[in-house]
Amino acid sequence: MSARRGVGLSAFQNRSSLSTSYASHGASLRSAHLTSLQTQLSVFQSLLHNFALQHADTIKSNPTFRAEFARMCNAIGVDPLAGSNVKGKSAGGGKGIGSLWAKVLGGDVNDFYFELAVRVVEVCRGSRGENGGLLGVEECKELVKRGRGIGGGMDVSDDDVLRAVKSLKPLGSGFSIVNVGSKQMIRSIPKELNTDQSTVLEAIQVLGYITCSMLEDNLGWDHARADTVIKDLLGDSLVWVDLQAPEAEYWSPAFMNDFED
Amino acid sequence: MSQPSPSPSSTPFKFPTYHASYPPFFTLQPNTSTLTAQYRKWSRLIQRYCRHHRLYKLSLTSTIDSPLFKNTELKKRLSLQDARSVLEWMSRDEGGRRIEWVDQKGRVVDGRPREDTHDTCWVFWKRPEEWGDVIAAWVEETGQKGVVLTFYELVNGEGTRGEEFHGMDQELFRRALSTLVKRGKAQVFGGEGAEGTKFF
Repeated sequence: MSARRGVGLSAFQNRSSLSTSYASHGASLRSAHLTSLQTQLSVFQSLLHNFALQHADTIKSNPTFRAEFARMCNAIGVDPLAGSNVKGKSAGGGKGIGSLWAKVLGGDVNDFYFELAVRVVEVCRGSRGENGGLLGVEECKELVKRGRGIGGGMDVSDDDVLRAVKSLKPLGSGFSIVNVGSKQMIRSIPKELNTDQSTVLEAIQVLGYITCSMLEDNLGWDHARADTVIKDLLGDSLVWVDLQAPEAEYWSPAFMNDFED
Repeated sequence: MSQPSPSPSSTPFKFPTYHASYPPFFTLQPNTSTLTAQYRKWSRLIQRYCRHHRLYKLSLTSTIDSPLFKNTELKKRLSLQDARSVLEWMSRDEGGRRIEWVDQKGRVVDGRPREDTHDTCWVFWKRPEEWGDVIAAWVEETGQKGVVLTFYELVNGEGTRGEEFHGMDQELFRRALSTLVKRGKAQVFGGEGAEGTKFF
């Protein structure tokens, strides 16, 4: 009774012993948690490891499956692409994991992306004359799919193409992803678009084509400005002109990608 | 590898999307690198078109209004002058020498393209030496090396029905064989009308 009331002198001692025992209990709980989490994580890792090995074929051949797998890896801070040459993005806690994964997946998944990257480079180079080195991710995907290279086409997703382009970065090849309007495009010639050029390309995406007077009317540009931008774009092979219309129309070369021939 | 091509116009030719729905394809592009890409596309298209319709020669004036150069739906066309530039590009090394200008008498003409002299051309969707290879391969496959075969037999005979070279242009056939003769793979003898050949 008296102890519970805790009004005597001994109450002070009780209280301090109580708090130390709380603290020690808390510490032991924390460490228990930590070990159980660590076990869980390592179990999960080994399961993921097994999973990756077991389903390596599916990961390579099924784009949807691959995208989901990549998302899963991302969620726990594992970058399937972080190979020996690229330091794992997941710094700190994930450091050990990064290299581990490079080892686990290196043989299969990494190779897949490097192989795809080679295809992407081929496709970009092959179509450079038509599109000035600016190729939509979507179109690139289609071209890779219908590719006629050794081993035929590869079935890939947008996500795969983006990863493949990223994997080219260490090479300093100048391949990069740029956003033009709502579209992601692969730039294979290191050149910046200025704001006006981007605006025009965006407008072409929406409208299909553009004319000088459309630019003047809708954007309030004067003729010289519209004319200069279009001349620049023409000079860089980024648009094609149709001179058989009442006013010269400028079209995006995206339509030119057709492997029917 | 090559299945027998369909007989003339048994199936409609399927134009690629850039021909069917991309107006700028019918305007030769001012930018040189774009233009080269465009020439290449046109060249492949013309070859595929001729192959589909089993055309060995093409006359500009009579083809210019055909669906090859004119898209009535888009209301676009490749002008006579531009079509001539395309063909001219095809006749050069960079175009793979896929066409060859000839005059009315079928003689090869050289020099700068002119309206009056450059109207008709061979379209080599297979070059004579490529035809030669096809024919030689057939002879080899059917075990007829060393056998005397008449020209008629090879081009029109029952035995070659379904082969790609069946019913091909006589003159081109002759040229194909002469490439084989030059390479020492065949021998040609006999007179006009009754020529025969033997493969080694």
